[in-house]
Amino acid sequence: MSTSSTRTARPLSSVLKPARNAHVQFLVFGALLCLLPVLAQAGGLRNSTLSTLAFVLIYAIVALGLNLLLGYSGLISLGTAGFVGLGAYLAAYFQDDLRLGFWLALLAALVLPTLIGLLVGVVSLRVRSIYLAIASLCISEILLKTFEQLEWFTRGTAGKQSKYPVVFGLQTDRATMFVIIVIALVVVMMVTHNTVHGQLGRALHTMRSSEVAAQAMGVNVLKYKLFAFSLATLYAGLGGALYLFFLRSSYPSTWNLFMSLNIIAMVVVGGLRSIFGTVAGAFVIFAVPELVLKKLPVIGDVAGLPYIFSGVLIVVVIMFFPAGLKGLADLVRRPFQRLRGDRGEAGPPAARPPDSDRPSPPGAGRAAADQTAVKEGRPA
Amino acid sequence: MSQRAVLSIDHLSISFGGLKALDDLSFTIFDQEIFGLIGPNGAGKTTVFNCVTQFYRPDAGDVFLTVDQSRLPSRDRHLADQLGQARLNLVGRPVHSIIKLGLARTFQNVEVVKELSLLDNVLVGGHVDFQATMAEQIFRLPRARREEKVYRAKAMAALDFLGIGRLADQLAGGQPYGVLKKLEMARTLMAQPRLIILDEPAAGLNDFETEDLAQTIRAIRDQYGCAVWLVEHDMRLVMNVCERICAISFGKFLALGAPAEIQGDKLVQEAYLGEQE
Ligand SMILES: Nc1ncnc2c1ncn2[C@@H]1O[C@H](COP(=O)(O)OP(=O)(O)OP(=O)(O)O)[C@@H](O)[C@H]1O
Ligand SMILES: [Mg+2]
Repeated sequence: MSTSSTRTARPLSSVLKPARNAHVQFLVFGALLCLLPVLAQAGGLRNSTLSTLAFVLIYAIVALGLNLLLGYSGLISLGTAGFVGLGAYLAAYFQDDLRLGFWLALLAALVLPTLIGLLVGVVSLRVRSIYLAIASLCISEILLKTFEQLEWFTRGTAGKQSKYPVVFGLQTDRATMFVIIVIALVVVMMVTHNTVHGQLGRALHTMRSSEVAAQAMGVNVLKYKLFAFSLATLYAGLGGALYLFFLRSSYPSTWNLFMSLNIIAMVVVGGLRSIFGTVAGAFVIFAVPELVLKKLPVIGDVAGLPYIFSGVLIVVVIMFFPAGLKGLADLVRRPFQRLRGDRGEAGPPAARPPDSDRPSPPGAGRAAADQTAVKEGRPA
Repeated sequence: MSQRAVLSIDHLSISFGGLKALDDLSFTIFDQEIFGLIGPNGAGKTTVFNCVTQFYRPDAGDVFLTVDQSRLPSRDRHLADQLGQARLNLVGRPVHSIIKLGLARTFQNVEVVKELSLLDNVLVGGHVDFQATMAEQIFRLPRARREEKVYRAKAMAALDFLGIGRLADQLAGGQPYGVLKKLEMARTLMAQPRLIILDEPAAGLNDFETEDLAQTIRAIRDQYGCAVWLVEHDMRLVMNVCERICAISFGKFLALGAPAEIQGDKLVQEAYLGEQE
């Protein structure tokens, strides 16, 4: 069986190259998503469904940012929507009012929210993370009010109208924008994966799990909190820009607390600290009410259906499946792994890097050879 | 054993509310020494550790650490002597800057990341050694990849050294207490410290594991060339492994000397008798 050989190889690759495998998965996932607009053009998928899926992917980008905060760093933000909205309005302002083109509009939507996020972080992250929740909520409300009042920037409640951008001289449309969103999502998945796996990710993990341990190991906690918060804000800005380019309009009422809570629901339902889980969570929270529930008789007519759906789902997940969809997937996968004969799982030799020629019996006395490499950083 | 000081505690005092947790405490730990700090429950042992590693800011007193040239922060470089070493006062420095100076610690209540593998937990101990910038890591540029590889091998060596290398890939959550204690030690080794602080390393271990621990502590000193300072209630371990011991009670200095001297000391015996009554 070819599968058994890849299984025994897994621990080796997880020791040395945790990235490659995941990146291939993200690329394959992206390639498959790019088939959807083709399918839609061939009539196999409704355009409205394609649009719903585009929003799922946009929300997935934003939710991945929140997962960095909530899942990896243990920080809670209630203000995501405000930053997404800011990204959307900035994109519109730079593209349609200033006519600076797609790339500069995108850049503005990435950089400016991040800078504001950084400022909020500097002020609120010094104390306890609950203050971040409060501060982020306040900022989000201030932004919301600004969106309503600042007519020259947002057109207020009348709504800001925009158009599909021109990218590399090419006029985009629904299908090409969908592909751009997919590319953005794949890049964000890769960046997130790299972030949470190396030294950066370990610092975030340690900070969440034990701030004292993190400090004792030399992690500048404030710096890493700020980092997580800025990256999350950057993703929010990106999501906002993509939202605007795809929908070509933005209304202040969109960027309310309900959206922030929905993003949290996506992370919780998908599974904290899972990249594919977050995407699945975005699908369940956003697409299921749109594509399924709203079409049901009776239930579909209930006012505020998506609110009720997210709320109930959060409670159910927290009470019964704390690991979310990711945990559910692991649960389903486990019996299959067992069937395939799981020798590699606990096999002690598999845990070693392949280039080690060390003798195996553990013990204190035999380590002299290993230590030469370890000690050379320190003068005697 | 050289008699050069690696850490000097100088008239250290700290109070919590009305309680004087440390009262004018002074002692010195030498290079490559195995040093014990003992005292009844609540004597202030963990508080000393916390004052040294700057988790607590002492009300009075200083803590001097001998720091190698390669680890000196640039603004302290002028303090180096002809051997390239300098005695830095730790008091007032940020907590996260301490390990970089060559002082690493474990915690009385094991503090590891349950959701990470043992190997990743150890790698956290090498945090300050990573040179790659955040951007290099986010885009997984060559330097970040290269460093990750080097330090993974080094972390693996530390785990092997403590005899838990075969568990490297397993999650820390759910491991037995003895493994977690070793994991914390491996994590300190990763920093190549000049002094390791162990807060009750034998707590929760059985007799066999404690015997193993004594050997491990000696091996750490011999192989990594660092001093080890431990707080411990298990007197057999302390007397067996420590070269010098300091006893304190209610934050006050009682006695300092070789194990036999401490065992025979009147004040120390009284302090411990008082505890048992
Ligand atoms: N952060 C703090 N706030 C208030 N009191 C504290 C604090 N830390 C320590 N103390 C008090 O200082 C005294 C010394 O505590 P410490 O933890 O240092 O004792 P210890 O010698 O480590 O005891 P044990 O052997 O039980 O670990 C105790 O009375 C404790 O209650
Ligand atoms: Mg203690």
